[in-house]
Amino acid sequence: MMMSKPGISGRRRFDPFLLLIFLLVLLLTLILARAVCTLPMGGEGLAGEVARFQQQSGVESPVTAVLLNFRGYDTLLEVMVLLLAVIGVWSLATASFVKNSFATSPVQISVVRLLAPLMCLVAAYLVRQGTHLAGGAFQGGAVLGAAGVLLLVTELPWLSVVPSLLLRIGLLLGPLCFLAVAILCMFSGRQLLQYPSGEAGWIVLLIESACAVSIGLTLASLFAGGRPGGDVSDD
Amino acid sequence: MMLEASSLIVCPVIVPLTAGLLCFLSRRTAFFASLSACLANLVGVCLLLGRSLSGPASYHVGGWQAPLGITLRIDGPSLLMLLMTAVTGLGITLYARGYFSFRIFFPKRIARHERQERFFWPLWMLLLAALNALFLSADIFNWYVTLEMVSVSAAALAALSGKPASQIAAFRYLLVSLLGSLSYLLGVVFVYKVHGVLDLNMLRACAGGGEGMHLALALMSVGLMLKTALFPMHFWLPPAHANALAPVSAILSGLVVKGSFYILFRLWFDVFPTCVSPAALNLVGILGAGAILWGSVQAIRQQRLKLLVAYSTVSQLGYLFIAFPLAYLQNDGLWSAVIFMALAHSCAKSAMFMASGTIFLHFGHDRINDLAGTRKCLPVTAFAYAIAGVNLMGLPPSGGFIAKWLLLSSSLASSRWWWGIVVMVGSLLSSVYVFRVVSRLFVVPEDLPVRQCLPRSPLLEWPALVLALIALLLGLVAPYPLAVLDAGRISLMLSGGGGP
Repeated sequence: MMMSKPGISGRRRFDPFLLLIFLLVLLLTLILARAVCTLPMGGEGLAGEVARFQQQSGVESPVTAVLLNFRGYDTLLEVMVLLLAVIGVWSLATASFVKNSFATSPVQISVVRLLAPLMCLVAAYLVRQGTHLAGGAFQGGAVLGAAGVLLLVTELPWLSVVPSLLLRIGLLLGPLCFLAVAILCMFSGRQLLQYPSGEAGWIVLLIESACAVSIGLTLASLFAGGRPGGDVSDD
Repeated sequence: MMLEASSLIVCPVIVPLTAGLLCFLSRRTAFFASLSACLANLVGVCLLLGRSLSGPASYHVGGWQAPLGITLRIDGPSLLMLLMTAVTGLGITLYARGYFSFRIFFPKRIARHERQERFFWPLWMLLLAALNALFLSADIFNWYVTLEMVSVSAAALAALSGKPASQIAAFRYLLVSLLGSLSYLLGVVFVYKVHGVLDLNMLRACAGGGEGMHLALALMSVGLMLKTALFPMHFWLPPAHANALAPVSAILSGLVVKGSFYILFRLWFDVFPTCVSPAALNLVGILGAGAILWGSVQAIRQQRLKLLVAYSTVSQLGYLFIAFPLAYLQNDGLWSAVIFMALAHSCAKSAMFMASGTIFLHFGHDRINDLAGTRKCLPVTAFAYAIAGVNLMGLPPSGGFIAKWLLLSSSLASSRWWWGIVVMVGSLLSSVYVFRVVSRLFVVPEDLPVRQCLPRSPLLEWPALVLALIALLLGLVAPYPLAVLDAGRISLMLSGGGGP
């Protein structure tokens, strides 16, 4: 591969290969820009369809209706992608906890103690709000994940002794719940993920709550950067 | 409590998905959960095969009809790809069991091997579910989601060995894969902007679309070709496939590259055939020819067995693309040669990587020059490698022979003999790199130092042989897969008019 060696004169050597790539990327940008400007816009897309079936979806927010009902299958697989990301990171490294929590300022610790429960409340509220306004599992999970990151940077001592089985269960809560609902829907003659009519509202809320917990844990685990110490060890 | 009979179609997605989640939760049941998922998957696909010979079937997930919801669709090509995944997947699962038990049995770096096994099973099961979902899907955006799932799990699997070389290769693989996915996604955005639907049947009905559609198709195709490692975008493949663990190499080379190829094939031949120009077809054919020649020459030059096999993947993928210009004009069925080729290559290449992995485990290296007399220690493995090699060379009665024969005869029939010459030269070159290894495996020199043979494990040797034999005998049962494809072809023609 083309790698310029730094450090000989401090200046990068002129590389014709890079110039070629630059020109190609520039050309691609121009083509894309032209296409975006001249593209015939095919009307509103599927927004009309979504509005037409909104009543049957069990929720009032069109975004949630698309994500959890009309195209719930996509979301089911996306939730698996998030889980895969954690499995991938866990397979590579163990999270390192620096044992210098005494260095954390007491102000930070008290602020985090105040904020973390509050953020959990906000997350729950966002999930609830997803049924009729902007919000939902991903937004709630993001706030939960931020709370997790706050806990991690404060280096609270109990974080390093969280049992790894508990974490695994938490990470699986959303995917398992979603998958179980999808499969249960198939009994009594319906299709995969076809919620019973009239029951869609609370089922969507159930899936969203479980997924929010898992997404929050996923984001925090990605920040921690590896599997917990009690998990599989490596030499 | 009643399950609809049509629900069988989601079994190849749901079953491995469940198994993958269980594997992540508990270690003890991981292998048995995976094995039963693979068996159930195979049985499910066979049942589908029996039912779908009468014609294609659709399934509306969530009960929502086409423009709003996601449709799963099963026809000839998708059925054969599912069958390929199920058979190869079962073989790989058994082999992986033998592989990890063998490595854990020898008390050297046990913790590392246990970690690899612990994370292999959930990643592999989720990857299997993603591949099946990809082959079943009939929705252009759902394809993107399955592609993401495939790339993330495949990159994690490639990095599993933990060696720096494999981690660098896996990271590059991840970046390339993401770039390909994003390019595909950009194309999907354009398609949605122009036509306002995502379902394949509806897209097929609204043909044309002008310059925007050409650009969209180009973006999607380049992304998918990058993921399929078409020459000269193959640079990431040999290091990633050669440095991974042996079962992972088999998965990546046998199955994962076929996923993105299948989407490309569908887009060009099934959904947007009107947008494809002869120049584009010829360009893809030329790149395929380049892949055949360059991949073979590189394979001949390699000193390590796994790298040789990886470069042969680059070369064999070229045949899939050289069929594009040939299949396009001849509408009556050359594209079945493409699917057939993919089928045979998947079995043969997995078998070859398994055999190389077994050889590596036993000797602790895979330098080709030092492999003389392998058959004394590992007769079954050496035999499996040779049979898989027969398929790559394209000798009768292998599946590779049928595919190459179809390519050759159609290139002569349409008097475009230059493609035929490339096919023949490619076969010649592949016999060079196959015999280079096979001659060393089988010829036992007289002055061979007595090698200590490690105890053999049947799970390490037999899956490779069975898969290689399947690839070999595929040529004898060729009429059957071609009949399945015929069932699919009818669907393709019917759906040209707006769906059955």
